[in-house]
Amino acid sequence: MPETLSIYIERVIDFAPRMVDSLWETSIMLFFAMLAAILVGLPVGTLLFLSADGRPNENRLINRSLNAVVNIIRSFPFLLLVVAMQPLIREVYGRATGDPIAASFPMIVIAIALYARFVEQSLMDVPNGIIETAQSMGATTWQMVWKFLYVEARSSLVIGFTTAVISFISYSTIMGVVGGGGIGDFAIRYGYQRYETDIMYTAIIVIIILVEVFQWFGLRLAKSIDKR
Amino acid sequence: MIQIQEVNKTFRDEDTHVYALRDIHLTIDKGEAFGVIGESGAGKSTLLRLLNALERPDSGRVLVGDHQVNQLSRKDLRAYQKDVSMVFQQFNLLNNKTVEENVRLPLTLHQYDHPLTVDAVLNFVGLEDKKHSYPSQLSGGQKQRVGIARALISRPTLLLCDEPTSALDQNTTEEIVNVLKKAHEVFGMTIIVVTHELAVIKALCDRSAVMEDGRIVDIVSVQKSAELTDFKSYHERAIEVLTHA
Ligand SMILES: Nc1ncnc2c1ncn2[C@@H]1O[C@H](COP(=O)(O)OP(=O)(O)OP(=O)(O)O)[C@@H](O)[C@H]1O
Ligand SMILES: [Mg+2]
Repeated sequence: MPETLSIYIERVIDFAPRMVDSLWETSIMLFFAMLAAILVGLPVGTLLFLSADGRPNENRLINRSLNAVVNIIRSFPFLLLVVAMQPLIREVYGRATGDPIAASFPMIVIAIALYARFVEQSLMDVPNGIIETAQSMGATTWQMVWKFLYVEARSSLVIGFTTAVISFISYSTIMGVVGGGGIGDFAIRYGYQRYETDIMYTAIIVIIILVEVFQWFGLRLAKSIDKR
Repeated sequence: MIQIQEVNKTFRDEDTHVYALRDIHLTIDKGEAFGVIGESGAGKSTLLRLLNALERPDSGRVLVGDHQVNQLSRKDLRAYQKDVSMVFQQFNLLNNKTVEENVRLPLTLHQYDHPLTVDAVLNFVGLEDKKHSYPSQLSGGQKQRVGIARALISRPTLLLCDEPTSALDQNTTEEIVNVLKKAHEVFGMTIIVVTHELAVIKALCDRSAVMEDGRIVDIVSVQKSAELTDFKSYHERAIEVLTHA
């Protein structure tokens, strides 16, 4: 038994540099997805919320079109989204395969759509009285969003973000198909294609740990900023 | 002076048609403490909410001072709302902000020339020791005091109270009524109180409208009582209760 263990450890050490590389690729994809979720998903979700029927900034055209776009993206099987985006990525980025930045494009798209929905949901949970209070005080829409809605929704926005990031990790495992690499691709290559099962399980455990860390950190942060 | 003229308001869904306000005429003097009573669904809140444009009338005019509230542009409306404060039944405090931050909130939205300080206004409502607490750490009565402090800090010329004591028990109601009474005496703003609790009106107001089914069916002069007495019935008993010392 100690012998098998030492063989395993040796193999892991052997594969470690490649595993670290693949983790780096995953980080690149996650970074762009997270950035897009915050910079675009948050405003899109807020706009979805504000423009809904019966809200102070009701706007059917904006609401219906954003809704349609978000639904279309989210109902696309992710693999098909990746494939369907290839020509666009090539146009914008020069090449569509073979590196994690090219692979980040579909990640960005799904990240925006996914987090926008979470944001919309979080804002819906803010009591109507809070919006009314902002209105009665003569707050601008901008003030209402920043000084009222985001304040009251902040822990739920963080929890939504955590859940979204965990989905991003799952989505990123597919990106090997277009040569994007990443830890998921690593597991598939060594486990499925080369029957290095022990290495595959090691990679999967690394993914699980990654998810746990995000989950733990997200929940902790959400709790610490929740004074309700 | 506040003048509401020929105001009608209906709420429409696909098949329902609620006449919330019908042919409302009402004049309230500057500095008056005015009550609005009536049973649930009578249209009290809708009437009150006309005055800070949370509702817009289908027809008629809402005049406050020299503003025609129902015709202001967005920008002018905000400038108008700056000097109108509201106290809510459910307090509507931001639970993620401290008492101090909640009270200061209006000052972060507009530029005020002579606002009160947070300390002064917390002192006024008797909550100076709760400055750094969060609303979840306060009792209902304390939360409403924060709501009142937040409403007072901007020195409003008009204070609208929608069922300010209806979420509170008898003793706490008395405390809140006293705070509102003191605010009216000290700051002299016009104050309008909507409630179904007759005793609150009796302790606080000079006159009161009685509403029924979207109409103002009567306006009575209140014989103010020094103390709150617990009366639970509505319109038929309102006149009896309000007009006897
Ligand atoms: N936003 C709305 N949409 C549809 N109907 C409404 C709306 N607001 C009020 N109503 C209806 O208008 C009528 C008057 O409502 P209002 O809230 O003014 O009554 P109220 O006298 O304040 O009652 P309560 O004592 O229960 O607060 C009610 O029948 C109510 O159901
Ligand atoms: Mg009401």
